[in-house]
Amino acid sequence: MSEQILAVPDAIARADMGDGSVELFVDESLYPLEAVYGASFTFLDRCFVFLDRPQPGRLRVILSAKKLGASPEVLREMVGEFANELLACAWREKITERNRATIEAVTMQAIGGAMGPPSLDDLEDFDFTEEPFEDPLGIAMSWEEKYGKKTAPPAATEGDEE
Amino acid sequence: MSAGVDFAALGLEGLRVDHAAPFRMRRVAEGATVLTALDGRFAILDDDELRAFARGEVEEGSPLFEKLAGANLLADSFDVPAAAEMLRARRSFVGAGPNLHVFVVTLRCNTSCVYCHASRANMDAVHTDMTPEVAEKCVDFALSTTNPSVTIEFQGGEPLVAFDVMKHVIEYALERNANLGKELEFTLVSNLSLMDEEKLAYLIDRRVQICTSIDGPADVHDQMRKLPKAYGESGHALTLEWTRRINERYREMGLDETLYHVEALVTTTRALLPRWKELVDTYVDLGCRALFLRPLDPFGFADKTGDRIDYPREEYLEYYRRAVDYVIELNREGVEILERYAAIFLTKILRGEDPNFLDIRQPAGAGIGQLAYNYDGQIFTCDEGRMLHEMGDDSFRLGDVHTSSYRDVVGHPTVRAVVIAGQLAGLPDCNDCAYQLYCGVPPVHSHKTQGSIFGRMRESTLCQVHKGIQDYLFAKLAEGDAETRAILERWTTIRPREHFLHGA
Ligand code: SF4
Ligand code: SF4
Repeated sequence: MSEQILAVPDAIARADMGDGSVELFVDESLYPLEAVYGASFTFLDRCFVFLDRPQPGRLRVILSAKKLGASPEVLREMVGEFANELLACAWREKITERNRATIEAVTMQAIGGAMGPPSLDDLEDFDFTEEPFEDPLGIAMSWEEKYGKKTAPPAATEGDEE
Repeated sequence: MSAGVDFAALGLEGLRVDHAAPFRMRRVAEGATVLTALDGRFAILDDDELRAFARGEVEEGSPLFEKLAGANLLADSFDVPAAAEMLRARRSFVGAGPNLHVFVVTLRCNTSCVYCHASRANMDAVHTDMTPEVAEKCVDFALSTTNPSVTIEFQGGEPLVAFDVMKHVIEYALERNANLGKELEFTLVSNLSLMDEEKLAYLIDRRVQICTSIDGPADVHDQMRKLPKAYGESGHALTLEWTRRINERYREMGLDETLYHVEALVTTTRALLPRWKELVDTYVDLGCRALFLRPLDPFGFADKTGDRIDYPREEYLEYYRRAVDYVIELNREGVEILERYAAIFLTKILRGEDPNFLDIRQPAGAGIGQLAYNYDGQIFTCDEGRMLHEMGDDSFRLGDVHTSSYRDVVGHPTVRAVVIAGQLAGLPDCNDCAYQLYCGVPPVHSHKTQGSIFGRMRESTLCQVHKGIQDYLFAKLAEGDAETRAILERWTTIRPREHFLHGA
C-alpha cells in the first residue's frame, strides 16, 4: 500500500506503511553509481537494502526498516537522510577529484611515517614471487593461457634452429 | 549569500576578484567578516573594507592593503614560499606515528556515570582486568611506534581499581625504554575516589600526570557521576579533596603551579547548561588553570541516556559563550585560567601552529596519532573506536597484541580509510569553510552519528560546535579590544611539562 507521507513526487520516492519500507528512484544522469552505493551503505544497520534498475537511466533503492512498525516519521526520515547522503556522496566525489593530489600526499606521508621502514623480519615474510596466490583451477588464468593460444607463435629469432 | 555574507545588502553585486588570492570567508558579527587565506592567515574586515576589497579598490600602501597583504590575501603579493612553509607548520605532526597509547587496564569501576563513555563493568567483573602478560605485550607494541615520544594513558573503567596492573605497565615500560630512549610519559585518567596516600606516593615518584573529571557544582556532579555510599558521601567532595592534595604536593616539590596541576575535564550535561558561572567558579576555587567545556559525546551509555541529559547544540553554544565571557572577565581581574577548546583553536588561528590535539586536527589522530589497547589486548584506532566495540561495533578494530605486527596495525585499511576521511579538503562544506585549516572532525564521530566516516557536516553536531566556537572567537577578535586579544594570545602559549618526561 503506497502512501503519500512525503512532500516529494511519487516518481522520486514513495512509502509503504504496511511494509515499513520506502522506495526511491535515482536519476543516473544526476548521480554516479558510487554515490548510490555510498548512501545505501549507511542504512545497513537499520534497513534491508535492495537495488535494481527498473528502466534504463533510473535506479530504484528500496529501504525496508528492520524493526517492524516503522512510523511515518521514521520513513520520512529515511527518505530525507538518504537524499542528503546521496548528495553528500556525489558532491564529495567531485571535491575529492579536485583535491586528490593533496589528500593522497598527506595520506601517504601519514601512513608511511607511522609505519616506518619494513624490518628485516617484515622483508623475510614478504612474498616477492610474481604469483599472487595459488590457483589450481586456473580461475585467474586468461582463456588463452588455459586453453592454448590460437594466435600465431612469435616469429623465430636469429639462430633458432629445428 | 555566502557563508553569511549578504552581498546584495552590502551593495556588492558586481564583484571583481582578479586582484584577490584564493580565500574563504565568513560573517562572524554585524559588520565583521573574516577572510582566511590558503595558508590559514586571516584578516577581519569591516563592511567598508569588505566593499573596497570586493570592488578591487585597494590602494597600494593603504592600511587595508597592508592588512590584506599581511594575510597573504592579494594576488600580486601572494608569497608562495611563505604559504608553503605555513602549511607545513600546520601539518608538522603528519608522519610522526602514534604518540598516544591508551591502555584500558580494566573495565571495572566503582562509579556509575549516566553518560559513561567507557562502558564500565561492575566491580566483580575481574575478567576485565588486563593480565600482566597482555600488559607487557601492549607496552612492547606501544614502544614500537615510529614516534620518538610515547604517552601511555591509563583509562578504564577506573584504572585505580587495577592499580597493580598499572604499576606493572609503568615498571615494564621504564625498563624496556632504558634501551630505546624514547621520551616516555604516563597519564592517569581517574575519578580519584579510590586514591590513597600509598598510591599517590607511587604516582608522584614515577612522575605520572593525573587527569580527572569535575562536572561543576556538587549536586550536578553527584547526580551525573553516581558514587555508591560505600566509597564516600560524595564523589564530588572526594575528587575535589584529592585534586587539592595533589596540587599541594606539586607545590611542595617546588614545581611551577601554572604548569603542574591536576588536569580536570567537564562533561557538559543538560543540568549544567544554566550553571556555567558556578562551574567556572568551582574550577577557579580549586586553583585550576584550565577547564575544558566538552559537550556530550555520543558513545557509551550517553547513547541510551541522551533523552535525559543531551541538549540542542545551540543551547550548548550559548552556555559556552557565557562561560568563556566570564573566564575572560576573570582574566582581566588577574585570575589565570583558560578554556581548552578556545586555546586549541586560537593556537592554530593566532600562532599558525598545531597543538596536536588529536580530535581537532586533520587527519585526525586515529591510528596514526593514537592507538587504544583493550584489557584483552585488542587494538583499536582510538579510544572511541574501542568504546564502539563495547557497543557491538567492530569497525575500528585493527588487530591484537598477540597476533598482529605493528606495521599490520598502522597500515591497516581502516587506518587508511580514516586518514582519508579525516581530511577536510575532501568534504563538502569543509572544503569551502573559512575555518578549514583550524578544524578537524574525527571520522569515528561521523560514523557513530551519521553512519559514514565522512559525515555530512551540515547536519553534524560536532561541526556545529566547532563552527560556533570559532565564530565566537573571531567575533571576540573582531571587537578589537587590546586586552581581550592579549588574554586570548596568552592562552596559546605552549610550554612543555618536562618534569613528567622519562628517558628524555
Ligand atoms: S565515566 Fe569513568 S568514572 Fe564514570 S562510570 Fe565510566 S569509567 Fe567509571
Ligand atoms: S567541520 Fe564545520 S566548522 Fe569545521 S571546517 Fe568543516 S564545515 Fe567548517
